[in-house]
Order: sequence, then structure tokens, then C-alpha cells
Amino acid sequence: MKNAIPDEILLQVEKPARYVGREVNMVKKDPENVDIRFAFCFPDVYEVGMSHLGLQILYYFLNRREDTYCERVFSPWTDLEEKMRENNIPLFALESQEPLRKFDFVGFTLQYELCYTNLINMLDMSNIPVLSCDRTDDDPIIICGGSCAYNPEPLADFVDIFYLGEGEVLYDQILDMYKAHKKAGGSKAEFLESLLELDGLYMPKFYDVSYKENGEIESFKPNHPKARKTIKKVIVTDMDNVFYPEKQLVPLIEVVHDRVTLELFRGCIRGCRFCQAGFVYRPVREKTAPTLLEQAKNLVKCSGHEEISLISLSTSDFTCFPELANGLLDEFKDKLVNISLPSLRIDAFSIELMEKVQEVRKSSLTFAAEAGTQRLRNVVNKNLTEEVILDGCKLAFDGGWTKVKMYFMLGLPTETEEDLRGIGALTDKIVEKFFEIPKENRPKPVTVNASASCFVPKPFTPFQWDAQDTYESFGEKARIAKRSITRKQVRFTYHNTKMSSLEGVMARGDRRIGAVIYKAWENGCRYDGWTDKFNWEGWTNAFEETGVDPAFYANRVRSYDEILPWDHISVGVSRQFLINEREKALRAEVTPNCRQECSNCGAKTFGGGVCYDDIQV
Amino acid sequence: MMTYRFKFSKGEEIKFIGHLDIVQAFQRSIKRADLPIAYSNGFNPHQQIDFASPLSLGYVSEGEYGDLKLTQDLEPKEVMERLNAVLPDGMVIKELIRRRDGVKNTMASVSAGRYKAYLDSRITPKMVEENLENYFALKEIIVMKKTKKNFKETDIKPDIFQLINASEGESAIIEMVIAAGSTRNLKPESVAEGFYNFVGVEYNKFKIGFKRMDIYMVIDEKLVPLTYGVEF
Ligand code: SF4
Repeated sequence: MKNAIPDEILLQVEKPARYVGREVNMVKKDPENVDIRFAFCFPDVYEVGMSHLGLQILYYFLNRREDTYCERVFSPWTDLEEKMRENNIPLFALESQEPLRKFDFVGFTLQYELCYTNLINMLDMSNIPVLSCDRTDDDPIIICGGSCAYNPEPLADFVDIFYLGEGEVLYDQILDMYKAHKKAGGSKAEFLESLLELDGLYMPKFYDVSYKENGEIESFKPNHPKARKTIKKVIVTDMDNVFYPEKQLVPLIEVVHDRVTLELFRGCIRGCRFCQAGFVYRPVREKTAPTLLEQAKNLVKCSGHEEISLISLSTSDFTCFPELANGLLDEFKDKLVNISLPSLRIDAFSIELMEKVQEVRKSSLTFAAEAGTQRLRNVVNKNLTEEVILDGCKLAFDGGWTKVKMYFMLGLPTETEEDLRGIGALTDKIVEKFFEIPKENRPKPVTVNASASCFVPKPFTPFQWDAQDTYESFGEKARIAKRSITRKQVRFTYHNTKMSSLEGVMARGDRRIGAVIYKAWENGCRYDGWTDKFNWEGWTNAFEETGVDPAFYANRVRSYDEILPWDHISVGVSRQFLINEREKALRAEVTPNCRQECSNCGAKTFGGGVCYDDIQV
Repeated sequence: MMTYRFKFSKGEEIKFIGHLDIVQAFQRSIKRADLPIAYSNGFNPHQQIDFASPLSLGYVSEGEYGDLKLTQDLEPKEVMERLNAVLPDGMVIKELIRRRDGVKNTMASVSAGRYKAYLDSRITPKMVEENLENYFALKEIIVMKKTKKNFKETDIKPDIFQLINASEGESAIIEMVIAAGSTRNLKPESVAEGFYNFVGVEYNKFKIGFKRMDIYMVIDEKLVPLTYGVEF
């Protein structure tokens, strides 16, 4: 097989291995011998995309079908893009090295809002018309999934189908229907119409939207008799029997995460009010420990990786965590396989576990405190007290840890200067805690890295109606927080404020944002999530040129009766629940987690998961 | 414990994977093959495997070497088969033998390398035929060599041991044996660059393909492959 890019060019770009495929466990099929060709696109660079668990799962899930060949596509880095355009080389898939235009489906996974210009760019580099309305029956069908698909409107002009939910549920049906349709010689338009039978799929062309004079949405209506008023996400309910790959693609160059990933459960019981994942993935559905141990053994063997990472939104909440952790320790402790435990709550059990599984000296301890005061932590329903943090630090310092990472958010609703100064107060106390242990027990000086992100209100969270701070105000708040730190052992950094502003616009954008994204792409914006590529001027010009006011989307409070751009989509959590949560937030009241007490958020309608845990049959 | 020496090839499929990543790929393959690899002692144990000489990115090779140590004495044939079953496409072990104790490791042994340079179409086999001997007969061959900070004029002639016209059909190919290793080391690119200068064609290294044919050490003043005479 010949590379799509000639050697002469590959030798002149950074990391040419990004573009040639042939990794360990790559699926090989003859494209001539399949009915359906599916290009799985990740709109970011190779090393990021290859570390994404969803890609690994769907890749093998789709390829388990003999009639389908799923191939991978990543966004070429800017150095290669330049050369491809210069030499008229279209974007290609890694497996066959063939251009995307030949494919039946071109699918994108949308993991963060700042990849939208990359999506446009990848379509354009494939010589596929960027706007859906310009595409013909000869062009592939563009389908998008991933967490950003829950507010699909900013990309509505470019995408044919948004898949809302977990890929394992519907893809077989979609592909079966497609195959039958193709055999019968049906048109693309007819195929999309036939998909209206299925829930979980949103096809923008079947809906019309109109606006009021003040810019708010006046109406959002189906224009096809079969189009649903609300489209509900689809999810897996039986996690033990859902497909999980027996293999994992093992890259031949270093990527962001080089390790076996084990997915413990989906969803989160906590309901932190700023966290979109905590709402859109409800309810919690767990795998059992024996299933996971089996999968771990398999994946370690077929990958040769020396690290297993347990993936979930909050690992300590996994009900079989002790059983799983001990099982993994037994299995792997002599085989020099590391176990990495992100998203762990720091308590006696986890400290003991971390001492067993990892190099004490190397790792650092992480607390997502999110806010500097208890009041504000209650507002966001972050169930973590100062006492717990300080106790955890004490345990860790006694165990030999000297590095602590603290995550905070700037600009949370109701935040005051006192909350910002609380960041300094809390981190200072952690340093003091360290000095409480006897000098001879301190292996190294302590460092506390406090890093602050800028709050971005997201759809399907209780703060979806709230205003985001402007980037100027984020900057001011960051300075206040920084000044509040007195200890020299504390290092404070904060996220790019302009990037967060842009993310704020994209996250809650409507269809009119599509024109801005297109313009920004024309202005040269790419890789908007990369600090060194971020082109603020390209974006501000795009807003000006399209006459769209970013503040309308980012910095405005909405009323409860305004039609929100994503109101036609249901993640199971009811609007009323979100309103209640917001009202409680303003009163700094907390809500118990799903295991303490069900708050009837609405996710019970899926008929599984944590909502039914207490019900004994 | 048993140490093995192996020779492997690196094909087109994998030529854009650099040395450190090749090492990593080997380590993972050993794990996939479930071989009883020996680990170093110490705080951060690592697999006892090492390689003769890093190959430049973009080169293919028929003669790469390494040593690996197992905690059990398995049949070489078995070790080779188990590894070949799991190595990434384009990496094939062609030879694997038990190695005697007391032999220098591959890296320390290297003295010379044999390479082929596949010249671009502006150079014809005829041009090679007509010029190669004269080129080799030059008293000194000056090319710009990259040092840590800048470029420096260097005479590479003493490090060229042999030049052969290996052209096939329409493609111009120069085969060379040149110094390699820690004391003297020459890049095949420099030899090609010198030749382009000699025939007056502008040199562009991105247009030329390189293949390492073999790596040699010196035994009794002769150049021999790294597997020569080291068998247990
Ligand atoms: S219905 Fe109850 S248990 Fe289920 S996700 Fe919602 S709050 Fe949690």
C-alpha cells in the first residue's frame, strides 16, 4: 500500500508517523470487499485523537461488521496542511490511505467546542462541500457524535446527522438500513428521511428556526411530518454485555496517553452543577469487577502496554472499586504493569491504594476543589469540604507525597471577591498542613500547583441560563486570586481567558454561529484549542464580518421561558429539574447524590442504571 | 539467564518511526509475546534490551542489530517466532542466536555500515558509472557537516571505505561502506551530497532514499557482521 503523502513531503513535516497508519492492531480489510466505508474523524491532531477511548471502542465496534470498514482520520498538523494544499493532495484515511470523498460516511467525534474550525477544514481538505446543502448524492454523509453534539446547532449547516448518545446502540441499525437503501438504489435524501424512524438522531434539515427581533429564538419546528418534536439520546443499559474491544490500537509514536484504558462506568452520581458530563451521561451505569478484570487482562496482553488507566468521571464512586483494585493488584503487581488512578477522591483508602500501585515520589495528589469557599462549593454542589481536603493532604504528606494539584474555577455564578481570596486561603492552609509534620519526615519541599479554569456555562446544566464573565473580568479575577496567595510554595496558573470566552459562545450557540465558524476558518483559524495556534483576531474579525455579537451568546442571562437552541434535544434530565437545581444553587443549597437519595432528575426513563439500584426483585 | 543477539529489518511500513519509538515498540512486542525478559535492578526497572545503532528517520534497513536477555534459556527459533508474530508490520527478525558471555554489546562493537543511496531521477545510472570512480579517487571530499551549533567544512574521504555502483535498470544507486560508531561516524547523506556536488547537480536530501544493508564490527582487521563469531 502506498502512502497518500509522498516521502519527500513526509520527510519535511513534524512527526510523519502521524500520517502513515499501520499501528499494532490496526484493522486491515480490502476496501473493495466491503459494502460500507466509514471514516472516523477526530478533529484534532493524531496524538490527541489516538488517546481517546471512544475512538478505540467505535473503531472495533464498527469493524466487527464484515460489511463495514471503519478507518481513522486525524486533523493534519498545519505544516502538512500547507504542503497538501500546495500539492493538491486530498485528506485521506490512515488505513487505506485513500481520499475521504470515496467514503459512505464521514463521522466526527466532537469532544470540545474549540475543534469546530478543524472539522470545517477537514471537510474542505477532502474536497467535500462544507455546507450540507451543497452536497450531492456522490458525497459522503456527514455524521457527528460526542458530547458537543448535545448542542448541535452551531454545526447545523455543515452536518447531516447528529448522533445523540452512545454509539453501540444505533450504529448497527443505521448501517443495515444504509446498506439496504444503497442496494435498492435509493437517494441520500430518502435515506435520511427513513432515519426519522429512529430516536437519537437529529437531522437539522428537517427543522426550521425563526428569530425574534431581540435575537432570541421565536420558534423551532419540524418541517417534516415524521420529524420528532424532541429527540432523545440513546444509551446502553447493560454495561456488562455491551461490546468492548478485545484489542486496542497501539500507536508507534508517543501519544498523549500510552496505556490500556478500562472504562469502569458511564455517568456520574454527583451532579456538580457546572459539569455537563454529569448531566448528559446520566444515569450511572456500571460494569462489574469480573468483567473489568477480564478486559484488563486481555488488553494488557494484546497491547504490551505497561500501564492501565481506570477511566470514569469519579473513580471513587465505583461500587466495586475495592474488589477491582485488589484484583488488578494481584494480577499485575509482578508483571510490572502500573495502575493509574485519575479522578480519585483522596481518603484513607485511596492513599493506601496509591501507595501500593504507584511511585510515591513521582505522582502528585489532585483535588478538584473548584471554589475557594464552602459557600461557593455548595452553590456548584461540589461535595468536598475544606476539612476533607486538609485531612487528605495530611494523610498524603505522612505517606511521603509532596506535590499537590488544586483545580479551581473562576467566574462561577454568585462568586464574590471573598470566594476568590478563598483560593489563597485554602492553598496557604495546605502548605501549613505540610509544616505540621515533623521536619525529619519531609522528603522534599512541598509544592502546591493551583490552576484555575474559566467557567463556561454549558447546555443541560443548571447554569445553562447564566451569563459567562467576559475575558477581561476573568483576567481581573485571576489577579485577585493570585494576590490572595501568600505562600511561596504555591504556584498559580490560569487558563487562556479569550479561549474560554470563545468556548462560551460555541457551547451555547445557535444556528447563526455556523456562519461565524465558517468565516473564522476562512480567516485562517485552526486548532483553536491550542494556545500557540489560537487566533483571536481571526475570530473577532469573523464576529464583526458576520454581524454576530458574541456577548449575546456568552454574557447574557436567559429567562426560563426563552427557547434555548438545544431545547429540541433531551438527555433525559428534565428542564424542571435543572431549574430547581439552579434555584437551589442561588440559595447555596446542595443536592444529595444519586446513591444517597434520588432527586428524580428524569433519567429514570432510560430504565436502567443507578436509578434502579435499590429496587430488589 | 541467556543473552541473545538478533538481526532485524526495518521496512517501508515503519521507516518513519524514529529510534526511541522503535525501542518502545520492541519492548511492547516482547510483552505481547509474553517472553521472560530480564529486567534491570533498581528503582525504575527496564527491560534488558539494547540496540546497535540508531537509524535515521526515513531510512529502511536490512541489517539492524540488538541484544536481549531472557531469564530462561529458550530455543532461539522459538524466541524469534514468538517475536515475529507480534512485531509491528515492517519489522522482521531475520536471525537470532544465543550470544556468548563477555562479548561487547552491539553498540560498542559498531565500526562501519553498509548503505545504499537511491538517487533521484536527475541522476542516471550512466552518470554514476562515469563518475563514481573519479569521485572516490578524490584526495579529499569536502562537505558541510552539521556540528552542534553550525555547519563546518569537513573532509569525509577518510571515512569512506568503499563505493560501488549498484544501479538497477533506470534507477541510480550508490552502495557504500563507511565509518560508523562512537569514534568515527559518517552519514551516508554526506557521501551522496559529495557525489551530487561532484557531478554538479543540486543536492536535495528529501529526494533520496536510503537503506542500511548491514552493520559491521572489526575482527582480525576485517569487517564482519555483528552476529559473526559471537554465538554461544
Ligand atoms: S433519576 Fe434519580 S438516581 Fe436516576 S440519575 Fe436522576 S437523580 Fe440519579
